Amino acid sequence: MAVSPVTVGVNVLLLGALYAVVAIGFTLIFGVGGILNLAHGALLTVGAYTAYYLVNAGIPVWVTVPIAGIVAATTGVVLYKGMLKKVADNPVSVLILSLVAGLIVEQVFLVLEGAQPLVVPGIVDGGVAVLGTDIELNRLIVFAISWLVIGALFLFVNETKTGQAILATSMSRKGAALVGIDADRVFTLTWVVAAGLAGIAGVFLATFQTVTPLMGRTPLLLSFSIVVLGGLGSIRGSVIGAYLISFLDQITVQYVSTRLAGVSGLVVLVIVLLVRPEGLFGRELTEG
Amino acid sequence: MANDGNRGRQDGTSRNASSNRRRFLKATGLGATGLTAGLAGCTSPSDGDGGDGGDGGGGDGGDGGSGGGIPDVIRVGALGPAEAPFGASILNSAELAAEEMNANDGIGGADVEIVTGDTKDDPGTARQRYSEMTSGGEAVDATLGIFGSEQLLALLGNIADKETVHLTAGAATPEAPQQLKEDFERFKYWFRVGPINATFLGDSLIQYAKNRFEDMGWERVAFLAEDYKWTEPVTATINNRLEDEAGVTLTSVRRIAEGTEDFSPIYDQLESENVDGAFTSLAHIGSTSLVQWAKQQRPFGYGGIHVPTQLPSYYAATEGAAISTFSQTTATPTSEVTGQTIPYAEAYNEAYDGFPVYSGYSAYDAMYMLKEAVESAGTVNSDDIVAELEGLSYTGTSGQLEFYGQGEEFPHDVKYGPEFAEGVYFQWQADSEGNGSQQVIFPDSLATSEYQSPPWVQ
Repeated sequence: MAVSPVTVGVNVLLLGALYAVVAIGFTLIFGVGGILNLAHGALLTVGAYTAYYLVNAGIPVWVTVPIAGIVAATTGVVLYKGMLKKVADNPVSVLILSLVAGLIVEQVFLVLEGAQPLVVPGIVDGGVAVLGTDIELNRLIVFAISWLVIGALFLFVNETKTGQAILATSMSRKGAALVGIDADRVFTLTWVVAAGLAGIAGVFLATFQTVTPLMGRTPLLLSFSIVVLGGLGSIRGSVIGAYLISFLDQITVQYVSTRLAGVSGLVVLVIVLLVRPEGLFGRELTEG
Repeated sequence: MANDGNRGRQDGTSRNASSNRRRFLKATGLGATGLTAGLAGCTSPSDGDGGDGGDGGGGDGGDGGSGGGIPDVIRVGALGPAEAPFGASILNSAELAAEEMNANDGIGGADVEIVTGDTKDDPGTARQRYSEMTSGGEAVDATLGIFGSEQLLALLGNIADKETVHLTAGAATPEAPQQLKEDFERFKYWFRVGPINATFLGDSLIQYAKNRFEDMGWERVAFLAEDYKWTEPVTATINNRLEDEAGVTLTSVRRIAEGTEDFSPIYDQLESENVDGAFTSLAHIGSTSLVQWAKQQRPFGYGGIHVPTQLPSYYAATEGAAISTFSQTTATPTSEVTGQTIPYAEAYNEAYDGFPVYSGYSAYDAMYMLKEAVESAGTVNSDDIVAELEGLSYTGTSGQLEFYGQGEEFPHDVKYGPEFAEGVYFQWQADSEGNGSQQVIFPDSLATSEYQSPPWVQ
């Protein structure tokens, strides 16, 4: 008997929300700062280990979510100000440095904790039956929080002055400067938001899977596919891209082979780059 | 199961005359190990062997591996992924055995020195570490360890080229003895102390299923194996024999790709197959699989061969997710496989503040088998050690250890069976205070408890 479509649908919805949170951060940093941050996955790892350490210190998991966001945001800002900002005009240096920074984070956790997967308990235990399918309550909570975060971010970007400043900077750095927007402040803020989201996503991922030094790699690759599909720099594109990739991945895994997990994202990445490099909702890069 | 003690472990009565002379020479500086050992490979030996006529060492050609007699220092290379418990158990157990030996006349009077090599669970790194430790003036006299069949297979050619004895502790692939079958003379320096090879692991799973599945209520079973070399023969055995011999329905056989992080789709499929149990052969990706099974409270049992759950600290480390999972293993810290098992586990716990995993038992046994072989041979010459190991019957921590001969199906592999080594099956069960303990559930002779279903499965 094949797996019920309800189960697959639920997986798509839940995972899509988590993927979107990761990919939005990735796309913001690229769209606003022009930085392709290959350490984005490592920020998830930082969030996940923060949660692991705090839980071991007796702090409830739900409390670790915002703290992990803050720790990852701080790490992100240090990474930006201490390293990437200095070479921001040279995309090759940015790629290399951010890749190295990501690898350093992995190595640090590898040395501190070893390669063994570590466990962070769910935010809540138990499950509920939805349309005859048992769903972990933890996944539902993660889904709900992810959507709250995405919604808040939409409101922030579209409705607040600071959000508008971020948007303006992403469209034209010169234009933004002309109307008095402090680009450096905007970049820093973008890093805070993006890295914070990655940290939170890291805790979520830790609660459904395990914590390992290399846990950020798959989300980084997925973010690439999602962001390229949705259009680099587009928040709406990232959300839709996240759902499309999550849908394709679940269909492939459930009905073709579980061994093909993650492959559909890479296929999409190649096709989009060849056929429609600006993605679904992307715009051609404006002058930077 | 043999429970008798070992000769030669604590006694240290013979061979003292020559070793005392060595110690004296060492103490007076003639045999200073540091400098002379460094030079030993390129100059004539000045470390006292030549003058130590008592054991006929006058002909020592200088390169530890080929001369007669036992040198002042015997170096043993221990290989494993240092960051993982399966590797750390190998390295630590080798060190532990060396310390015990050095406190008790070493090996034939020689001090034992462990050279560790972190393979990082990667074949290329394993090769590099092996080649470093077997080259130069301080080349090791034998190596042991290796977790991960991929790493072992990558090294077999090097072991043959170096003509240096290797005692595997950790990797289970039967492809290693297959190489001996094809070219015994070239590959004869390889031995496996444990675990039992993967073909036998498959047989062990069948024996377990035959004896226990009915009582466990496992009628419909899915088999989950990680897609690594060591599970290939296990998978073949399950495919060929499980249904007929255990009288169960095998709903699916899945080989799961390395790097699989989300097991939900796989468990969705198992649920749709309506299975009673997931019978496993997992090591590298076992934790991710187990934790998700428990967190998602999947309505079927879980276990078989599951290497991470063998870790004695695993229940606490997984916040209790390991509850009711079961696994075959070489031995557990409280199972009296032989009289050596518990003392070793306790000594390890004292030294490293935690109990070893299966690879540790075998690495420790490997050290003592090497000691026996070198002392009987009276030399560290590899060919002589091979000859001694072939005839050795040793009561180790993991059973009565003997190796299959050249003409048999798995040359130089550890013998499998109730009278040799066969391992035990244990299950994680919670005590009244909620702490987990590994209770042996098979075989009957060592069982301390019966299988219990996961708390959420009725």
